Amino acid sequence: MFLPAGSQDETGTQIANRLKAYEIFRKVTEERNYQLISTPVVEYAHTFTNKIAGMDLHSMLKWFNGEGEIEVLRPDWTAAVARAIAKQHISCQKWSYQGSVFRMDKDGTESRQAGIEIVHAEPFLGESECLLTAIHFLDKIETTNYIIELGHTNIFEYVIRPLSLTVEIEEELRNAMHNKNRDLVQQLMAPFDNSVKETLIQLIDAYGGNEIIKKFKDIWVNDVELSKLLNHMDKLIQLLESVGVAEVIVDLGRVKNLPYYDGIMFRGFLTSDGSTCFSGGRYDKLYKQFEMDTSAVGLAFDVDILSQHMKPSKTKSIACIIATPETHLFAEKQRKELEEDIIDIQYDSINVSKYDVVYQVIEENKQLKVVRK
Amino acid sequence: MKPVIALTKGRLEKQFLAYFESLDFDVEPLLDKGRKLRIETSEFSFFFAKGVDVTTYVENGIADLGVVGGDILIEHKPDVYDLFPLPFGHCRMALATKANYEWPNQKKRIASTFTNITNAYFKEKGESVDIIKLEGSVELAPILGLADAIVDIVETGTTLKENGLVIADEFLHFSARLIANRSTLKVKRQQLVPVIERFKKGVNEE
Repeated sequence: MFLPAGSQDETGTQIANRLKAYEIFRKVTEERNYQLISTPVVEYAHTFTNKIAGMDLHSMLKWFNGEGEIEVLRPDWTAAVARAIAKQHISCQKWSYQGSVFRMDKDGTESRQAGIEIVHAEPFLGESECLLTAIHFLDKIETTNYIIELGHTNIFEYVIRPLSLTVEIEEELRNAMHNKNRDLVQQLMAPFDNSVKETLIQLIDAYGGNEIIKKFKDIWVNDVELSKLLNHMDKLIQLLESVGVAEVIVDLGRVKNLPYYDGIMFRGFLTSDGSTCFSGGRYDKLYKQFEMDTSAVGLAFDVDILSQHMKPSKTKSIACIIATPETHLFAEKQRKELEEDIIDIQYDSINVSKYDVVYQVIEENKQLKVVRK
Repeated sequence: MKPVIALTKGRLEKQFLAYFESLDFDVEPLLDKGRKLRIETSEFSFFFAKGVDVTTYVENGIADLGVVGGDILIEHKPDVYDLFPLPFGHCRMALATKANYEWPNQKKRIASTFTNITNAYFKEKGESVDIIKLEGSVELAPILGLADAIVDIVETGTTLKENGLVIADEFLHFSARLIANRSTLKVKRQQLVPVIERFKKGVNEE
């Protein structure tokens, strides 16, 4: 029997690490007063493809149901959680989830996430709480070598606003910025105001540490709106640095890659190989489809990436008790005596070399006892 | 760890080496590489792969930077930073067919390696065609009667001419491009940005 492309069986450390990551994530979010939420794996495509959510149907695993509606395997948690919590009372602010998402544009069809959504909270509180939860969780899974990157959707949106671009050109320009494609940005901006073109070209290279914020604070000193955005990002950077995050960077040229992103965007990179371990941001707009004017921010961890990089757990010693059908129950009772160890009961001594300690049940003076072999 | 650069084998390879040398980088180990696919210089780790594989290695973070034809990027749309054009590897995409060919009064059959580019080209023209995917020597397709025409990359036009084909239309102009992995550009920026700036300087001086 074979597996479809992108699917895989798993055993051993990878799955143990993933379960450990899920468990630690649940504990961390419980300690921080998040409520658990789970949404179904099967949803209507419209939840994700509607004009506001704006996801691409091509990359979803989909089929027609009996009524001719398109159903999909959940491609994204954020839009699904928004649908689910829109009906919840406004007092419920903090939600956590964990489970798989399914997309055909990823290396594997299924990938596992653990994430949080914070709604109805004061914006800075929501963003700080998101990032501090991320740091708390990374600390608990002993992941210390990472970089946090901040971006803001409204920098690009604000800079191009005076141009009144058509939807098509705006999207093409946004893509060119997303790809840091300098010549395409220049080409698309050729018919327009030179100062906007220059700003966009500067933004392509505006990634790095604190020096980038300082440089652009000087450049935009007379622009109230952009200065406000930079100050907002600066406040978050100071927060992250004060809790000991080794490296915080910004990418001022980052643009939204989904239409519902609206404000701060964050991303975590593991320094060992550059893989992205979490991403998220603000998406108040997503709730407009439910006629809600609210604050919403969240992030999701890529649990597959994290579990590949987690240090192996300190393993207990593995003991084998060799018993017989008659002495099996006695051997079972020894678990209490040997609770520091992992106990495996066997009836023969084949493969005993794989155990750290081997015991045998013997009978002495009509009494059963275990002796170390 | 040195920056890792993936280079496209073949047509672009020699042109890259000349360009790289013009920027005063150490090219000596690359000139005598023989059939080796991985080469270390004093500053970089290089490896050589087919164009489309260069994008895969960069997308997956095996290489930090890559040099690849713009045609490959448009055809395959890899998830990488597509930074800027390099001053070599200039070519264009062309629709070509046999000289004096009378187009049939039915849906055309177009052979190409670049099926996505072909599809987009005819879509923009508002014309339905059947696209036949070939892996190479596409010039054969009209000659042997497999297709009415081809869409292929053209550098000088000599191959088309020698095979009795003429260009019916030209669209999209490309050159080699510098691409970067989305994460490592940020994580290894202290190493990569000076290299990119040197490449950029070479482009601006052209």
